[in-house]
Amino acid sequence: MASLAPGGYMGLQPPIILLREGTDSSQGVPQLVSNINACIAVVDAVRTTLGPRGMDKLVYDERGQTTISNDGATIMKLLEIVHPAAKLLVDISKSQDSEVGDGTTTVVVLAGELLKEAKPFVEEGVHPQTLVSAYRKACKVATDFIKEFSTTIGDLSVEEKHDVLHKCAMTSLNSKLIAGEKEFFAKMVVDAVSKLDQNTLDLKMIGVKKVVGGTLRESFLVDGVAFKKTFAYAGFEQQPKSFDKPKMLLLNVELELKSEKENAEIRLTDPSQYQEIVEAEWAIIYEKLDKCVKSGAQVVLSRLAIGDLATQYFADRGMFCAGRVPEDDMHRVAFATGGMVQSTVNDLNDEVMGECNKFEERQVGNERYNLFTGCPLAKTATIVLRGGAEQFIEEAHRSMHDAIMIVRRAVKNAAIVPGGGAVDMEMSKVLRNYSRTLMGKEQLFINAFAKALEVIPRQLCDNAGFDSTETLNKLRQKHAMQSDEGKHFGVDIDTGGVTDTYKSFVWEPVLVKRNALQAATEATCLILSVDETVRNPASEQEQGMGRGRGGMGGMGGMGGMGRGRGRGMMR
Amino acid sequence: MSLAFDEYGRPFIVIKDAESKKRVKGLEAQKANILAARTVARILRSSLGPKGMDKMLQSPDGDLTISNDGATILEQMEVENQIGKLLVELSRSQDHEIGDGTTGVVVLAGSLLEQAEVLLDRGMHPIRVAEGFEMAAKVAHETLDSISEKFDFSAENLEPLINTCMTTLSSKIVNRCKRDMAEYCVKAVMAVADLERKDVNLDLIKVEGKVGGSIEDTSLVYGIVVDKDMSHPQMPKVIEDAKIAILTCPFEPPKPKTKHKVDIDTVEKYEKLHETEQKYFADMIKQCKDSGANLIICQWGFDDEANHLLYKNELPAIRWVGGVEIELIAMATGGRIVPRFVELSEDKLGKAGKVKEVSFGTTKDNMIVIEDCANSKAVTILVRGGNRMILEETKRSLHDALCVARNLVKDNSIVYGGGSAEIACSLAVEAASDKVKGVEQYAMRAFAEALDAIPLALAENSGLAPIESLTAVKAQQVQEGNQRLGIDCKDEGTNDMKKQNVFETLIGKKQQMMLATQVVKMILKIDDVITPSGYA
Repeated sequence: MASLAPGGYMGLQPPIILLREGTDSSQGVPQLVSNINACIAVVDAVRTTLGPRGMDKLVYDERGQTTISNDGATIMKLLEIVHPAAKLLVDISKSQDSEVGDGTTTVVVLAGELLKEAKPFVEEGVHPQTLVSAYRKACKVATDFIKEFSTTIGDLSVEEKHDVLHKCAMTSLNSKLIAGEKEFFAKMVVDAVSKLDQNTLDLKMIGVKKVVGGTLRESFLVDGVAFKKTFAYAGFEQQPKSFDKPKMLLLNVELELKSEKENAEIRLTDPSQYQEIVEAEWAIIYEKLDKCVKSGAQVVLSRLAIGDLATQYFADRGMFCAGRVPEDDMHRVAFATGGMVQSTVNDLNDEVMGECNKFEERQVGNERYNLFTGCPLAKTATIVLRGGAEQFIEEAHRSMHDAIMIVRRAVKNAAIVPGGGAVDMEMSKVLRNYSRTLMGKEQLFINAFAKALEVIPRQLCDNAGFDSTETLNKLRQKHAMQSDEGKHFGVDIDTGGVTDTYKSFVWEPVLVKRNALQAATEATCLILSVDETVRNPASEQEQGMGRGRGGMGGMGGMGGMGRGRGRGMMR
Repeated sequence: MSLAFDEYGRPFIVIKDAESKKRVKGLEAQKANILAARTVARILRSSLGPKGMDKMLQSPDGDLTISNDGATILEQMEVENQIGKLLVELSRSQDHEIGDGTTGVVVLAGSLLEQAEVLLDRGMHPIRVAEGFEMAAKVAHETLDSISEKFDFSAENLEPLINTCMTTLSSKIVNRCKRDMAEYCVKAVMAVADLERKDVNLDLIKVEGKVGGSIEDTSLVYGIVVDKDMSHPQMPKVIEDAKIAILTCPFEPPKPKTKHKVDIDTVEKYEKLHETEQKYFADMIKQCKDSGANLIICQWGFDDEANHLLYKNELPAIRWVGGVEIELIAMATGGRIVPRFVELSEDKLGKAGKVKEVSFGTTKDNMIVIEDCANSKAVTILVRGGNRMILEETKRSLHDALCVARNLVKDNSIVYGGGSAEIACSLAVEAASDKVKGVEQYAMRAFAEALDAIPLALAENSGLAPIESLTAVKAQQVQEGNQRLGIDCKDEGTNDMKKQNVFETLIGKKQQMMLATQVVKMILKIDDVITPSGYA
């Protein structure tokens, strides 16, 4: 145990206690190897989700909530990993998710494989830092190569660009539950993204609404904003539910009969004053309502409640209103219609009013939805997802999110590479060639890096139930050809053979690959450069008991506390 | 969890509570999931079709539900298993979207999984099975389009709509008076339908139930039924040509919303206060009278004093009417909801031909029926039945039928029932499968076979020899090229569903197949189930 420093010679003196009692730490090569083992164990849990024939995981949590997912980041999060080294993998999949949105499984699988390749070297006594620097070098060569290898789409015409984006979205959707309808959804995603402001591409401007029921095909894209009918008071049904070119007033005001000031108290001495107070209160609300009506608006939306009185008042005057509109929906409405959210009803003029082509309330499944379409400044879109079960829609939403992110990224960073493992094979080849130009140990390590890259096509084959070794050999042969014709070959998921994935339109944005490669390399290097794990016991006491139980039982007593459960690792 | 060992050979704890978590992987997971789903489907199988049986379910509080409706049964069963829950949601979403066919969709999904299991045993990759099913579903989808028929209906000719609703109702407890029921449903839907926009807001149709009488006593009211009575027992029970004031303010002196306090320190002041209060009551009544109203409907209550005054002034009144009802009454009578007495005026009153208080049987239960409204955009179906369970089941059946009618207003395509559509699809998929390269071919054949489960179950539930009837009908369909042939559940001597008038909506059928296929794909795609301890 490292917490005990050998005290003096002959071991006669008691050992000097350096660290607090109960602290568990281990160091050196063995702990490095065990960290690698832990990571590999985690990777095993998600590797089967990779690719178009990847499977899904069903995870329940303690509250009995079920998630069925194919998304690497989601699964990693739900696994509740406590091992400090393995937690790093969760972090890189998260970062891939927030940075690129897709390829979250890829990054984990790649990191696992890089570690696996490093393991024999570590065991043989290679200094981890040598490995780290070689991996970094290899990563740089590989990323430089991707840039060269990619095809830019920046200077294509709009239609062609759309086409490319469409293909990228389809590739991303391939592995998901909604793959059967991927063309349908890819189109939806591309349409939605192209509605956005092309400079900012703010993701928040794409709303995704989920309505259980119906089939996937009944999902639709609203060119504008849609949200669920809000809580309505009596009188709501008497309002008109459809307008052409309505003017819209967006408010952040409560339209209800209520006391104007909290905690104010009125003292009356004369009962006849009573009426005045009541009248005054009514006057306030009526004045507000009157101002709304006078503004010429036909649709009034408010973030806060619109009471029954107001509802009926508007109904009387042929206007539509909705109160308690969720904030992000309100934001989108404002953005789409060009209106401004007002926090007072004074000084309403045409400038702050929104406008859209059509407003209507429509039945979607079991719910009624408010749809605002054909907005003049429509830099926003709403996707309404339908599906047979809640988990189904949740997963569809995650898949759509991935695809949206991909398309968004591809618009910004307009370069693509062929998917299906083609680019990985080609990178692997380039690295192998590069390694031969080097002297010394690095040659071996870069070769290992090159080998690790092959895991992507290998896993694709394995998941599809094909003989991965055979397919991989075919791929190696294609990529090793002198002429360039073989460089776009990847795994053909239908037959188990190889195919030109560039021609079969399995395309990925460069950014996905580059980010995955860099994140995986970084994580690997980080794990490799750790030489000591110190687990501090005290801070874990309170919440640690529950976790400790399982661990202790399994190991039959003290001393064996798995060092895995620490928090001492740098992160 | 897969195990890893550290340098001392101790197993790792990589995942929180790893030891108490259960994990099922690979083929084993798929098998377990399929088994769970099939078990759920098997329970519903016997409820399918006109001769299907009902289930009796007891809730933890001892409440009984008897139902034939797939969605209701599954909801009440409280399925614990996660995969089972998926099927519950499947049937619920069919319920939300279409309203009918909730049993069929689960039976179909169960049958698809049964077929998938055989293929998995043969070593087929689960996703390829699912993909094959999807291809087959597409073929079936097209087939349904091609065999569907459009029919015309208009406000005068409701016969086709009624026939379709009758098919829905024939499997329910109410089938002895399904003709009447179907008529009520169709009329109710037509009354609220916006034929131009093809939109039907079912919120405007109220289904109200009252225990007592028999199902035959069920009636359709062009207006509103409110489960309330007149505020004073001596008020008139019937009001002809009612002019209704719909109020959301109580019959009492108005209160400011701001916290307030009245200081009374002398007798004079007290008397003045009393006087003012009295004046308020008198004013309110006067305002009502002046507007010309002869019936007051109030969202709030009023105390005995106000009640007495109303009675004295011959103003019948109904108190404590809920917000939803107030709204419906306003819509039906064309009146406006009035928030203050001062705003009452003649043009804001609702008009109804007749308002009456009806009492039922010997009980003291009374209901107010508002009929012959100015704008009968709101209707009520008043359901009667021998006991609460029948009443509830009748309400559910009516809901199904209402949904069917609504769907037909939206899209007037129909297919023929009795399993004929499934048989036609099964034949089409089978034929298409031979043209497919690759292993998906097997999956498509399996899909065709799974489709047969519906007519099989229909025949079985009707006491016919299932395989015999199915093969006979199938052969006949191929020979005559007539896709309207189905299982003769009602033993009427003909297989032609057109002659039997058994229709189903096209969207309902399509939805069943698509939903079942999608959920099956979801189940097949899972190869790893991670459960915390304590969950099975």
